[in-house]
Amino acid sequence: MLLDPRSKMIMVICISSLALIYNTPARLLQLLLVTLVLLFIFSFNLRVIAGYLKPFVFLMFFLFVVQSIFSPGDRVILALGPVSLISIEGVLAGATVVLRLLVITAAAMLFTTFSSRDFILGLVQWKVPYEIAFMVSTALRFLPLFRDELKNVLTAIQLRGVDLKKVPWGKKMVMYRRLTFPVVYRNMLKAEQLAIAMEARAFRAYPQRTYLRQLNLQRVDYVVILLSLLVTFILIMRYIG
Amino acid sequence: MFLELRQVGFSYPQKTSPAVIGINLSLKKSGITAIVGPNGSGKSTLTKLMLGILPASEGQIYLEGRNITEYSLAEAGRRIGYVSQNPDLQLFCASVAEEIAFGLVNQGCDVATLEERVNFYLDYFELAAYRKSFPLHLSQGEKQRLAIAAVLANEPEYLILDEPTNGLDAYRKRLLEEYLHKVAELGRGILLVSHDIAFVDRMAERIIALANGQIQSDSNQRGEGYLCY
Ligand SMILES: Nc1ncnc2c1ncn2[C@@H]1O[C@H](COP(=O)(O)OP(=O)(O)OP(=O)(O)O)[C@@H](O)[C@H]1O
Ligand SMILES: [Mg+2]
Repeated sequence: MLLDPRSKMIMVICISSLALIYNTPARLLQLLLVTLVLLFIFSFNLRVIAGYLKPFVFLMFFLFVVQSIFSPGDRVILALGPVSLISIEGVLAGATVVLRLLVITAAAMLFTTFSSRDFILGLVQWKVPYEIAFMVSTALRFLPLFRDELKNVLTAIQLRGVDLKKVPWGKKMVMYRRLTFPVVYRNMLKAEQLAIAMEARAFRAYPQRTYLRQLNLQRVDYVVILLSLLVTFILIMRYIG
Repeated sequence: MFLELRQVGFSYPQKTSPAVIGINLSLKKSGITAIVGPNGSGKSTLTKLMLGILPASEGQIYLEGRNITEYSLAEAGRRIGYVSQNPDLQLFCASVAEEIAFGLVNQGCDVATLEERVNFYLDYFELAAYRKSFPLHLSQGEKQRLAIAAVLANEPEYLILDEPTNGLDAYRKRLLEEYLHKVAELGRGILLVSHDIAFVDRMAERIIALANGQIQSDSNQRGEGYLCY
C-alpha cells in the first residue's frame, strides 16, 4: 500500500503511545497482534521481522528474568527459604515489559517501509526543523546498523573458533560483557565519522536547502491519520476511564 | 583435496546478476594459491562461500570431503583462518593483546604457551608497543597487521587472506611475505586474494583469475602464461 510516510509515522506514534499506556500483558499482546497485522499489510514478511528481533531475544529474556525477580508480589511461585524469588505478579510485570518492547520495536519497523529521505521530507513539510528531522532519521537508521554490527562481530568471534552455541551460559555472559564496550564504542566512532563527513559536505553551512520532491497527502492518508488518532484516543480514554 | 567447489553460484538478495556463478575449483591442503580479478569480480564473495559465511545458492562446497553446510562457523574457522578485506570488522576486543589471545584462550590453551605466542606475534608484527591500545585506534596498516596476527596466532591448517597487503608499507609487506612463506613451508596451505601483482608473483604457485563472477583462467589448468587483467 502506498501511504505517505507521515501517515505511517502517525501510526507508529499511536501504537507506541498505547504500548506505553497499556499495563497488562493481555492488552499488549492484542496490540502486538494488531501491529503484526499492519506490518503484514505493508507487505513485511514475518521471517524478516523475526530476523530483526532475533538479536534482541537474549536482551528480552534477560529483562524478563530481572523484572520477574525484582517485582514484589504475594502469590509466590518460587522461594528460597524465607525469601520469595518469583511471584505471579513478578512474572506478569516481566511479560509486560518484554511485550511493550516487542510492540515498540515491531511498530518501529514500519519506518523501514519507506526511505529515510521520505521520512525527513515528511517531517520538514510539517515544519519540523531540518536538523531535527535529520537527527531523528539518522537515529532510526543507526538501529539496523547496530544490528548489522552485532552480526559482524558475532561472525568474527565464531570464525576465531568459538562455538557460541556450545559455550555455557555463564561463560557467554562474561564474554558478552567484555565485548559490550568495544561494540558500543565502534558505533560511537562511526557516528563521529558521520558527523565529520556531513560537515565536510557542508551540512548546515547555508541557511537554505533545496528539496527535490514534494510529498502530498492523499485522501487515504487523511482517512488513515484521522482513524488512527481517533481509535487511539478512544482506546486510551476507555483504558483510563 | 582440502577444498572442493562444484558448480558454485551465489547471488546477493535484491541483486539481479549473480556475484559468482559456475565455479569449479579444487584446492590442495598445501601450497600458495592466489585469486586475482578486477573490483567486483566476486573474489571476496567466493572466499566467504568457502568458509560458509555466505550460503551457496547453487552447487556444493566440500571441506575435507564434508559439505561446508555441515560445519558450524566455528568449526570452519578453526580449520581455515580467515582475514577479511576490512580489518575493522574483525577486531572486537578491548586491547591488542586480548585480540591476539582471543582464539587461544577460547581453545583452552595453557597459560605459558598463551603468553609465549601472544608475545611472539606482537613482536613479529611489531605491535608490542600497542599491546594495551584499543584496536580500533590503530592506524590502518596496524589494524591490518593485528587482524592477520590474531588469525595466525590460532595456527590454523589453512589460511584465506583477503587483500592481506592492504595498507601495509613495503617493509611490513616483506615481513608478511617471509612469514607466509614460512607457514607454507610447514605444509600449510594459503589462499590469497590480491590486487598486488608483484606480491602475487612472488608468493603464489597457482593463480586463478576471476572476472564477472566466473573463473577466467587457472594457471594450474593452463600451465604457464596466465591472464593478467
Ligand atoms: N553485501 C552485499 N550485498 C549486495 N551485493 C554485494 C554485497 N557484497 C558484494 N556485493 C556485490 O557482489 C559483487 C562481487 O563483490 P565482491 O566483494 O566479491 O568483489 P571483489 O572481487 O572482492 O572486489 P574488490 O576487488 O573490490 O574487493 C559486486 O558486484 C558487489 O557489488
Ligand atoms: Mg574483495
